[in-house]
Amino acid sequence: MDRRKFLGVGLAAFAAIVVPGTDLKAMNFRETKPKAWEIEKTVDGIKALYGNGALKKSDKLSFKAPKLAENGGSIPITVKSSLDLESIALFQDANPRCLSCVFSVPKGAIIEYDFRIKMRQTAVVTIVAKERGTGTLYTASKEIDVSIGGCGG
Amino acid sequence: MAKMKIKAKEKKGIVKVKAMFTSLMADKEEAVKKGIKASYIKYIVAKVNDAVVYEVTMSGFMSENPLVKFKFNGKKGDKIVFTTIDNNGKEQTGKKKIK
Repeated sequence: MDRRKFLGVGLAAFAAIVVPGTDLKAMNFRETKPKAWEIEKTVDGIKALYGNGALKKSDKLSFKAPKLAENGGSIPITVKSSLDLESIALFQDANPRCLSCVFSVPKGAIIEYDFRIKMRQTAVVTIVAKERGTGTLYTASKEIDVSIGGCGG
Repeated sequence: MAKMKIKAKEKKGIVKVKAMFTSLMADKEEAVKKGIKASYIKYIVAKVNDAVVYEVTMSGFMSENPLVKFKFNGKKGDKIVFTTIDNNGKEQTGKKKIK
């Protein structure tokens, strides 16, 4: 990515954060950040979605996932956090596109999300969360071993 | 077509919700392999009294027939409304009373 383009992405990301304002308005990340859904590598994906802020590790953000997944087609993941977060995104390197899902957290919600993802091969799963107000980015990651690929092969 | 199953139960002010959606969740590559059209849910939102309680944007890399669980502060008798939008722009809604 060249410098000019990169700056543009950053600006777009910033605008998208500022514009919605209210919590009542539903936000569709696929429309606001279409680029982030096409990127292959986790590192670039995080930049496309959240800009290039520093990533912090925190005990207050954690997720549960099996160490060894027998079936790559359905890997249960539980995300928990006691922080006041605005959005949570899940990235992985196993699939052709890194972004799996983005939660936008309503105000005052209990953050305990349970869902299942697909992974083609063994890879690192990264969760990035953005704090409401300060915009601090938190991260947590884990490697998951997959014995059988989930995406149809 | 596709159905959704929703369970919502209140206990001490916290509502636990389990929801299952029917979708193949086949992204481009998988669809080519199986010889079908790409079809996956890309957006799910849940509302109670018009306030958003759960919102997620997803790619086709969630597992088939996605099952989600979450909690929120709520009370009995309210209605929870789910709306899903798939990659073809098809919208579906499902309602359930909180028990």
